Parts: sequence; structure tokens; C-alpha cells
Amino acid sequence: MFQTLSFRSAIFPRAALAAVFAFLAAHHSWAANADVTAVLSNSNTTVGQPVQLQIKVTGSASAKPPGEIAVDGLDIRFSGQSQLLEGRNFQFTYSYIYNYTVMPLKAGTFKIPPQRVEAGGSALRTPELTLQVAADSATAQSPRSKSSTSIDPTKIAFVELTLSKTNAYVGEMIPAVVRVGFNVRTPVESLGNGAEITGQGFTAQKMREPRQTIETISGRTYQVFTFKTALSPARSGKIEVGPVQVDAVVRIPRPNSRSQSMPRDLFDMNDPFMDNFFRDPLFAPSTPQEIKIKSEPVLLDVKSLPPGAPADFGGAVGNFSLETVAKPKSAQVGDPFTVTATITGRGNFDRVTAPSFEDEQGWHKYPPSADFKQDDDIGISGTKTFETVLSANERKEKIPAQLFTYFDPAKEQYVTLRAEPIPVRVEGGAAPSAPTAPASQAPTAAAPQAPRAASQQEILHQLTELPAESQSFIPLFARPTFWLAQLIPLLALLGFVGWKIRRAHLNNREARRREALQHEAAALQRSLRREDVSPEEYFSRASRAVQLKTALVRNLDPNAVDADVAASAFKMDEATRTRLRRLFEKSDEARYSGGGNGIRLLPAETRNELLELIDNLRP
Amino acid sequence: MKKRFCLSIVAVALVLAGAVSAADESVFAKANQAYNESRFKEAADGYESLVRAGNWSANLFYDLGNTRFRLGDFGNAILNYERALALDPRHPEADANLRLARDEARALELRKDWIERYAGMATVKQYSIAAAVGFWFALFIAAQLLLSRRRSAGRIAVIAMSLLVSGVSIFAIYTLENGTRGNALAVVTGKEIVARLATADDAKSVLLLPAGSEIKILSDRGDWIYAALPNDQRGWIPASSAERVRL
Repeated sequence: MFQTLSFRSAIFPRAALAAVFAFLAAHHSWAANADVTAVLSNSNTTVGQPVQLQIKVTGSASAKPPGEIAVDGLDIRFSGQSQLLEGRNFQFTYSYIYNYTVMPLKAGTFKIPPQRVEAGGSALRTPELTLQVAADSATAQSPRSKSSTSIDPTKIAFVELTLSKTNAYVGEMIPAVVRVGFNVRTPVESLGNGAEITGQGFTAQKMREPRQTIETISGRTYQVFTFKTALSPARSGKIEVGPVQVDAVVRIPRPNSRSQSMPRDLFDMNDPFMDNFFRDPLFAPSTPQEIKIKSEPVLLDVKSLPPGAPADFGGAVGNFSLETVAKPKSAQVGDPFTVTATITGRGNFDRVTAPSFEDEQGWHKYPPSADFKQDDDIGISGTKTFETVLSANERKEKIPAQLFTYFDPAKEQYVTLRAEPIPVRVEGGAAPSAPTAPASQAPTAAAPQAPRAASQQEILHQLTELPAESQSFIPLFARPTFWLAQLIPLLALLGFVGWKIRRAHLNNREARRREALQHEAAALQRSLRREDVSPEEYFSRASRAVQLKTALVRNLDPNAVDADVAASAFKMDEATRTRLRRLFEKSDEARYSGGGNGIRLLPAETRNELLELIDNLRP
Repeated sequence: MKKRFCLSIVAVALVLAGAVSAADESVFAKANQAYNESRFKEAADGYESLVRAGNWSANLFYDLGNTRFRLGDFGNAILNYERALALDPRHPEADANLRLARDEARALELRKDWIERYAGMATVKQYSIAAAVGFWFALFIAAQLLLSRRRSAGRIAVIAMSLLVSGVSIFAIYTLENGTRGNALAVVTGKEIVARLATADDAKSVLLLPAGSEIKILSDRGDWIYAALPNDQRGWIPASSAERVRL
């Protein structure tokens, strides 16, 4: 029987509803006229007896179901959805059906509130539903069923606590294993807070995620959770460790799901594992149930650490080794060295402190940093690294030895590890002072020394002058003025290049002019040696040759050279100067008088005389 | 008319500049007097007002450093001495007092590599000038060489030397600007600041930095800065606990 509730169908009769649907379909208005209904498969049930909730959206091509439905006392879970296409009078209607499983967790009357459903862009609300939940049907149905709720947890689960040793020293780390097993027929849903070791006088490491295995014990199959941890006794004497308590939720098969015709447990021990195949929890309905299980406690005999511990003993118990390195190998006075001490082994690393330095005189020591890397699951084996920064106040040749003391429970004695001094070179500053104080044996890192009072310092006096202009932190190369200043050499370079080019150009013209003059002078001199030249032409050529030679010597225009200029250029005596004047006169006479005087050829003697005169023109 | 207007503006600007300068000097003198009378807090306020006004000088930062030293604020004392030395790397008083402050605060210094130590023989300003002079000198000689017909091995050698001087100077500038005393230098002003492996207060510690310790800022991320530390490691420290030396 379905209890059907709808905010429309509850009002109108079915025929009217059909008419409305037809009307709506004819007007193609699915989205605007969508409808939602919600039904429970049964409005009366018992604790542990699930019912089905169905939400149906009709008349919309798209729908979005409600999110999580939360009702105190009911466990409501989405179990699937389906779509339905219905045709009527050639009009088709979409329907979306959303199914939920409602598991009552306790008895009472529950109301499932209206749920918001989005359909075709509009929001609809389901009607409120009521579910009556009676007490567990088993309790009401038969005495046997009632007895089934009081299951003995020890028959379906177990807890074991195992310590690696039962005799230990205070502070020693003792590996411990906790095993929690559940019969596979009553699968565990939750382990609550996990396994918790109760007791006083010891500390336990935080347990990590357990390892899960399937084991068969005494013919039964268990799902076993194995937790690992380590205990550290905090006091001497007899210490009771445990019991370990586990609060778990397991699924117990429901007795009423069994057919009455099924064979019963032969021994009627109310033992769910004795049920037949049909009681297998994989197939039969089950009920979650909380159970509490405990282990047996373990007695631990704890001894105190022996007296006479070294001064630098910090409480480390176990077995360790020590290595140290430093970098850099050389530095100036005041520069830092980083000394790395690596302590490796097995024990209570939380009590492993930085090694102390044998002799700290002349050094500044800063608090060390620590880093622990464990090798196992429970943190009792690994490597702890300390980095200490030291700076020397004076010249040094080595970083002092480091000491680390621990108690070895196997040898039952204190062991002091000593790392040899590390050779380094510290330069600058004062020579090392003679040791005056015994080596510090502090087991833990020393805090930085308190600064001395400022008033004791002789700092230099105040400066009372301010520069005329404020200064800038911008480096010179990044300032605009620097790059503007580069324009000066740039302009100078451009000017220099231009000047050089112009000068080269001018030099080139002068050279060509001189070359032409030299060429002309040489040609004239060659022609003067010929005999077939008329006297007018000869004198003209000779005077021109003198002008060219003078122009080359004095860097003048040849046309501007006369006899006196040539004479002074070559520093001639008076006789030669007179001869030169006569040559220029003859040349002018020949040039301006027109024709010759009848003599057609110049006498050889005169020609030689002129040639000699011209050849002797040397600066 | 226009000329007279321009002259008036220039005159007003000069008068205002003179007035501002006189006011700064007055504040500076008052701060000095407060320092001499051991009113260090008042003196520090006076010096810092000048710093905020942008009237920066090596002497001002040096005096502010002294004041912070007297107040026992060694982190800020070292920061201001460093600023004085950033403005004037040859400031003898700042250098001397910086050593004393570091000794008092047990401050850690960044370690210079050998290249930076050698490069530190001159200042960035000197290297900048040397680089420019070397470059232009080489360019002048090269121009002369190209424009003359004579090829001289001596001139080519001079060009090579000039370019070498310029190149070495540029390299030195790069080394100094990106080194421990460069643009990224900062000083821890908070007390006992812990450098951590990650940007979280409970992250693993790398190094405990006393006030005044030097760091080199590598990057900023919100309230944290990632920095190179004096022990050659790197770590995150709160941005509010350190200040850059260069303003």
C-alpha cells in the first residue's frame, strides 16, 4: 500500500487531474505546469526496517532532485533515479523518478519536511510526509528475537595488545601492537576513535592508520586491523598497560529477515555466525549496532635509570651514533659556520637534544634547528639532524668537539659519544686567548648571550652636518643624469670623427694639387731640354717651371710667383737673382710682345745656362 | 611682462626651497640636541621625520643608527648604519659603529664569496665611472685608428685594455648589485626571528636570526619573504620582521 500525497493530486480527483494534464499538454507548457509528488512505500515501520521514498517530477523536460535529506532519527540515502515518457492523445509527458532508502534508526514519529525540487526553471516543493517508526520489530515479535540484540561482542570481535618486552627503563621506547578483529559476517562500519590504550604511568605515540588483513582464527574468518605504536614508561615500578578499548559499529544481520522455514541454529546460541547462507550479510538485510570490545591489560616492569648520569645527559634512551660536519672550512672572524650534527639510531628521539660543545670559549653559538626523519612507522628509529650556527670571536683552527650522552638499556649504562673537533681556519681578528674556563657541558643548546648594555659601548659621536643636497640610494649607473652625461663624450666623438673626415678630405685635395704641379714641372723640365723650341716658348716654359718649383716649395699658387718670390724662396745670391729676373723679363717680353725678333732657336749656351739655373732651384 | 612673471616664479621657488632647507636643518639640529641630552626617543622621532621627508644622507642615517643603538634597538641601528654605508660606502663612523652594533646584537652577516670580496675594493659609483671612461676611451682610439692610414699595434692594445677595464667594471657592478650588499640586502629588525621552510608559523625552522642579521631577499609572497640566510641556506621569514636597506 502506497501512501500518496501531492499538493495537487490530494485536492483534485484523478479524473480532474487527467483533464488538467491533458489541458497542460495541449498547451505545450510542460515547464510552467510541472508537478511533483512524494510517496513512502510504507508509512509505518520499525527500527532497522527500511522503507522506500519516491519523488516523482512530472511535466518537465528537466529536473534537479533535492540534495541531502536530513531527518534526525532517519538515515535517508539516494538509491537511484529513472525517467518515464508517457503518451496521451499524442501529447507526451516526461516524468523523473528519484528513489531514496529510508532507514529508521530509532522509534518515534518522523516528519520528512518538504523538499525543494527544480523543474523546468521553476522551484517546486514536495509535501511533508510522516513516518511512524515502532520499536525494533524483533523486540515485539518474539523473545528469541529480543535476545538477538544483546549479542556478546566477544563472539564477533576481539582486541589484542602485545608489547615487545615487559621489562624496561624509564623513557625507553617499547614497540606495541594492537590487533582488532571482526568476523566477516558482521562487517565493521566504523572503528570510532580507533584503538585506545588506557592506563597511567606511560605515554604512547599517536597511532597511524591501521593495516588491514583477513585472517582465519579457530575456523572463523576475521577482518583484522593492526595498529602499531610505541610506549614510553614515565615512572618506575609495575605499570598496567591497557586494556585497549575499541568502540566499533558493526552490521548485525536482522533476525526477522529469516524465513520461518529456514533451519535454525542447532545449538541456538544466538550466534549470528551459525546462520545459514541466507543469513549472509552480503545478501540479508542487516542492522548497524555499536559494540564495545576490550583487550586484556599487560603488566610492565619499569626500572629507574641508574644514578650518576653525565651532566650533558638530556634523557635520551636507546642506541645512537653521532656524526658531525661543518661548512665552510675557512672564514673570517665573525663569519658564521654551520655545524651539522646527525644522530642516528633507535630510541626516544623526542628526548634527543643537540650535542653540546666541549669548549665554547671564543665562539658565539646560536640556538640549533632540529629535523627528524623516521625510518619506521612509529617514530622510534630514524635520524635527527641539528644545525648549529657558530661564529668565532677570534682566530681559530678547529670547531670544538661535540658530546652527546644517552642511556643504553641493552648495556644498562650511560654512553657518551664524542665527535672529534673539526679543522677549520678562522682568519682576521685577535689571536686566540688562553682558555680560562672549563668546557661547557650543557646538554641543551645555549640561548644567545644577552646583549651588553648599550651604555657600555663607546660608539662614535653624532655628526651634525647635513649635505646641501639629499643623497639617493639609486646607483650611479641607474640614474638618468649618468646617461645624459654620456651625451658629452658621444658628441665629442662625433665631432672628432667629423673633424678627422674633413681633414682627410682636405689633405686629399692638396695632395692631388701638388701632384699635378709636380707632374707639370717635370714635363716642363723635359721640354726645356729639347732644341726645337722657339726662344719665346722656351722662356715662357722656363719661367713657368720656376713658378711651379717655387709654388711646390712655398705651397703657393704658381701664378702668383714672380722672380723675387722665387728668389726669396730658394735664398738665391744676387747674381742668380738677377739672372732669374732676366728670365721672367724675357718671358714677359715674349708673352706680351707677340712675335719673335727673328731668332728662331735659342743658343745652346743660353739654354744650358737656364737649365742649370732651374735645376739648381732647391730649398 | 612674461619675463617678469617667470622671474617671480623662480624667485618664489628659491625662497620656498630655502625655507624647506632651513626647516630641515632646524629639525636636524633639534634632534641632535635631544640626542646630546639623552632624549633618544625624541631624537629618533626627529631623524625619522627627515627620513620620511626624503632628505636622505649618510650622516642622517648614521645619527639615526646611533640613536637606535642608544635605545637598545640593535636591529634598526644596524639597518640605519647599513643605509648610511649604502649611500656612502666609505663612511668611517658608520662602519665602526656597525661593527659595534653587530657585536652587541650577535647579528649574523651574509658571507661574501671571493669575487664579491675583490669587487668590493671599489664602489659601484667608481666602477660606473671607470666603465664609462674605458668605453669612451676605447671608442675614441678606435675611431682614430679607423680614420687614420697608420695601423698601430700600440693603439690596438690600448683599445683592448680600455675595453677590458670597461668590461671588468661592468662585471663588478653586476656582482656588487646582485651580491650580499646589493639591491636585495635587508636587515632583520625583529628580535629572534625564525626562518622557516614554509610560509607557516609552525613550519620547520631553518635558522634563528638575531636582530640586525643580514638577509638577501629572493622573493616576496604576501606577508612572507623568501630570503638567502647567513648560513648559506634559504628560508621564509615574516615580511614585517625585516626591512630592505635601500629605500
